[in-house]
Amino acid sequence: MKRSEKFMLQNVGGVALLTPLGAQVMEMNGLVILNDTACCVWELLAEERTLDELTAIVVERFAVEPVRARADVQTFLDEIAPLGMVDG
Amino acid sequence: MSSLPCEYGDLVRELHARAAARRQPVNGTFELTARCNLACRMCYISQSGGDATVRAEELTAAAWLTLARAAVDEGMLFLLLTGGEVLLRPDFFEIYTPLTRMGLLLTLFSNGTLVSEALAQRLAEAPPSRTEITLYGATTATYEAITGVAGSYARCCAGIEALVRRRVPLGLKTTVTRQNVGELDAMRQMARNWGVPFSGGWLLSQRRDGACSEVEHCRLSPSACVALEATDQISARGWTETARHAVAPAHDRNFHCQAGAASFVINPRGEMNVCMDLPLPAARPLEVGFRAAWEQTQRYVDTAPPLADACRNCGARVYCPRCPAWSLLETHTLNEPVPYLCEVAWARKEQHGQPT
Repeated sequence: MKRSEKFMLQNVGGVALLTPLGAQVMEMNGLVILNDTACCVWELLAEERTLDELTAIVVERFAVEPVRARADVQTFLDEIAPLGMVDG
Repeated sequence: MSSLPCEYGDLVRELHARAAARRQPVNGTFELTARCNLACRMCYISQSGGDATVRAEELTAAAWLTLARAAVDEGMLFLLLTGGEVLLRPDFFEIYTPLTRMGLLLTLFSNGTLVSEALAQRLAEAPPSRTEITLYGATTATYEAITGVAGSYARCCAGIEALVRRRVPLGLKTTVTRQNVGELDAMRQMARNWGVPFSGGWLLSQRRDGACSEVEHCRLSPSACVALEATDQISARGWTETARHAVAPAHDRNFHCQAGAASFVINPRGEMNVCMDLPLPAARPLEVGFRAAWEQTQRYVDTAPPLADACRNCGARVYCPRCPAWSLLETHTLNEPVPYLCEVAWARKEQHGQPT
């Protein structure tokens, strides 16, 4: 999977968030706030990634248990997929 | 995913507060033109739509985009495009379309009278997060008595309908005056029929260029303002809460909004100011760079005089909408009391009760 190019990562006062671009405003008019893990996953999704790859990198960067990391990544992906933010 | 507020309005306020703490210019306003095709009696800004001299001073589309890119680099996220009437610019989409690819949350203010079917379609292809159209009345007679332009009411309604049909995010608002206050409920009903939100404002300021306007003949009396607020549930509840918790603010800051802390305005000539009503410090971002202009704007706010003693010691201070822009427009100072707003504040206090 890979992130959609229809959104842009922004930072306001230290808060990471995603905003829709162009016509995407018709589908999702608002913004999505990202925590540190979600922001990391979003940046990783600039390239094609598998759930296993994402989990391994989150484990390494955030020093969390693999089970917990996998659950967090999956939760984030489940939240953004219906918004059209990931392809594949 | 975070402890930030979930409700959108609260979230935006929190983001502004966090940006202000870092002096990040998160909220920009580009005033693309001061010209307008309407001639509203109470308008604080409008220049004639065909004024070639005024038009010649306006920044080009390329200059606006240069400013936008620089502002985004410094952290701008929210951008309001306003005028005058922005759709008077034949190059409007040369400015607008690239902005929709910059990750901004765009808001567009318009009077709606120039929104054709084709223009609505073009907006729908990459819509702003919000479009706000001002409605000046619920009948042709009232609307056009204010705008001074025959046929403008029908064109405004047609523009609104074109946007509604294409699901362009839209809200209606009105400027309440003595001339249209009797049609407020009817305007609210029009918005309901179109399925769009509606809001109103009624504190009318003088023209910022010092020219004569008919604002004195259009303003509601202070008691009428407060009576109108009392009929609005959200507003009335807010003032009741204010009354319940009212204590004098601990600070004497004159600028108490985000102006110069997280927000800025760039006028049609390319000057950066603290807000639309306060055309200072007139910094020149295209000449000195965006960051230097933003720093100049911050300094202007940071070195502003404190509240006047009369305001600091006023028993109705927590009810008062005065700000430095109002003081400048009405008293030519940045901090003196504005008599009209003093009356509004005391009328609010009388309406909503003495805090205990």
